[in-house]
Amino acid sequence: MIAVEQLTKSFGRHSVLRGISMTQPKGEATVIIGPSGCGKSTFLRCLNQLETIDSGQVTVAGISFNEKPTDHDTQHKLRLRAGMVFQSFNLFPHLTVMQNITIAPVRVNGETQESAEVKARELLKKVGLLERADFYPSQLSGGQQQRAAIARALAMQPEVMLFDEPTSALDPELRGEVLRVMRELAEEGMTMLVVTHEMNFARAVADWVLFFDDGLIAEDGTPEQVFNEPRKERTREFLRQFTQ
Amino acid sequence: MKFWFTRTAIWLLAVFAASQLVHADTLQRIKQDGVLKWGADAEGGAPYVFPDPNQPDHLIGFEVEIADALSKKLGVRAQMVQNQWDALVPALQRGNFDIVLNGLEITDEHRAQIAMSVPYYVYSQQIITKKDNDSLTNMASLKGHAVGTLSGTVAQRLLDQAGGVDVRVYPGQVEPFRDLNNGRIDAVMLDLPIAVYYLTKEPNLKRSGEPFAPGYYGVGIRKEDETLLLTLNKAIAELQGDGTLEKIYRKWNLWDKNQLLISDYKPKQVAQQKVFSSWRNWRTYLPLLLKSALVTIELSLLGMTLAILLGLALALVRLYGIPPLRWLTIAYIEGIRGTPLLIQLYLIYYGLPTVGIYLNAFVAAVLGLGLNYAAYEAENYRAGIQAIPRGQMEAALSLGMGRWLALRTIIIPQAIRIVIPPVTNDFIALFKDSSLVSVITMVELTKEYGLLALTTYDFIGLGLMTAAIYFVLSYPISILARHLERKLHYDRR
Repeated sequence: MIAVEQLTKSFGRHSVLRGISMTQPKGEATVIIGPSGCGKSTFLRCLNQLETIDSGQVTVAGISFNEKPTDHDTQHKLRLRAGMVFQSFNLFPHLTVMQNITIAPVRVNGETQESAEVKARELLKKVGLLERADFYPSQLSGGQQQRAAIARALAMQPEVMLFDEPTSALDPELRGEVLRVMRELAEEGMTMLVVTHEMNFARAVADWVLFFDDGLIAEDGTPEQVFNEPRKERTREFLRQFTQ
Repeated sequence: MKFWFTRTAIWLLAVFAASQLVHADTLQRIKQDGVLKWGADAEGGAPYVFPDPNQPDHLIGFEVEIADALSKKLGVRAQMVQNQWDALVPALQRGNFDIVLNGLEITDEHRAQIAMSVPYYVYSQQIITKKDNDSLTNMASLKGHAVGTLSGTVAQRLLDQAGGVDVRVYPGQVEPFRDLNNGRIDAVMLDLPIAVYYLTKEPNLKRSGEPFAPGYYGVGIRKEDETLLLTLNKAIAELQGDGTLEKIYRKWNLWDKNQLLISDYKPKQVAQQKVFSSWRNWRTYLPLLLKSALVTIELSLLGMTLAILLGLALALVRLYGIPPLRWLTIAYIEGIRGTPLLIQLYLIYYGLPTVGIYLNAFVAAVLGLGLNYAAYEAENYRAGIQAIPRGQMEAALSLGMGRWLALRTIIIPQAIRIVIPPVTNDFIALFKDSSLVSVITMVELTKEYGLLALTTYDFIGLGLMTAAIYFVLSYPISILARHLERKLHYDRR
């Protein structure tokens, strides 16, 4: 579903990704962990071309690209197939929850408002927000906003979901509701790539864990292996912060 | 110390006495200072008073020579004080100068406000047309034609009274000749001296028909300066008697047999006109002001619409356009913002005809206001769009929206609320700036006020009326903006 070979990316002189290679099979959940500034968010943003890449070869849900500019059509398809959830939710504040969810299916895919709303209601039920459909984002808690953002991304029926630190902006007591939704998604077989600091979530949900350090994948493996028997000293050091 | 005190006291007394003297007698002060200050407008003032083309810091003109001759009679030196022509009378009343000597016609309106000397020149009206036009030779033939003249002149009044003439009022005397050449107007009607002077420079124009409607130029003096009036009357009579005036007029090619009419002049007594008369006559003046307010509204609405549309396009190109286009928009915005609207209006109306583009005054006015304000609007919108967090665009793109769709449905709707206050500000500012278009012959609210005030000399009454109209029209814009802002306030809990 996702295949990346020797991906590099730098901002000016600062080299953020220094050669990332990985593959992810369909229906699996991969969790990326690592210290701040290790490049894990940038990596995610490269996958749906919110950032351009400097070199390497990327394939996401059947769409391949490299450092050369992609034509609009390919980029459009790529973004339709890869849904994204942001750390800061990025809900559209001038639209209700329902409108947030239906605007892309209607304006991009040409669905009718009615059918988009029927599907939106199912999604809202799934994320537990059916009774908030007509609220504006500012009237929701952070956890509710992030669940609405997940529903918004799912409405485009993506083949893979990219989560960029979805709970980092939330108070600890609100994180559970978002993680629960994500866990259900994983159990339904959604292909997911999750950047997070939630080690318990990674342990419980991930099929595969990538440990990013300084623009490289320092270590990868099953959650049991990475969390219980890390091979690298750097990994142990990082994980120690979470076990205290 | 005591000595110092005494000296100061004496000095203060002297100053006090001197200031009393000013009130008491302008003539004595003129003689004391050795300077006669005469008010005139040298801007486009040929052949009356204008900068010497060969030596622009030096003023020449037949009235410069008359002022010098009069001053010599008083034993003083003449000093010209520059003042806009159509506001010379109020400026004299305010005490900006001692006399007005600048083609001021001896009319009942003027004599109601100030004292007028005996005449020093007999002017007539002259019609000027293109050389190939032989049909417009008298007042009656001007009906149905566009005729340019100077604001606040006898010619303007004659044309207004004639009825059926499309009168175009210009602030200066160069512009009507230019528009006559351009074909924007069919004829110009002006005092003969102006016609004589400018025709030497306009090979394609000619005097059409005989001069008519003779009248008198006199020196304007404040009513209370009776001794000055008597002295000047005597001086003028002497200058006429010894042939000095004739010599000056012959030099400037202004001598004609009409000058002999000066001896027929009989001053009439005129009743003092009441100030605030316009309040009592509001039934007459208010409809005139309201009619011109419609022009102001039309100009503002059309100008702002153009500014908003063009401004949005400029902002989008500046933010998302390819580099060369982006540079062009930046150049446009900075160029427009860095130059006065007045100059831009002049360029559009009087400058474009030199490259073959003839716009009528209304179109030029809308274009000028719209193009100018578009630059400000563009910066408002750019600021508004940039105030929207980047994540909004990213979220829209990640949902498969194109950039344009994302702008239309996500970014711009949010930016609108942010820019409502500054755009409202600009709209109100444009509404008032629309008064500048009077320089290109548009008669809108402020111009109408000026025209009415200069015939009635009721600056206060008409001014308050006009200001009230502006306020009544602009205040609802503020209310509407506040309402809109509240309605779009989606993120209030």
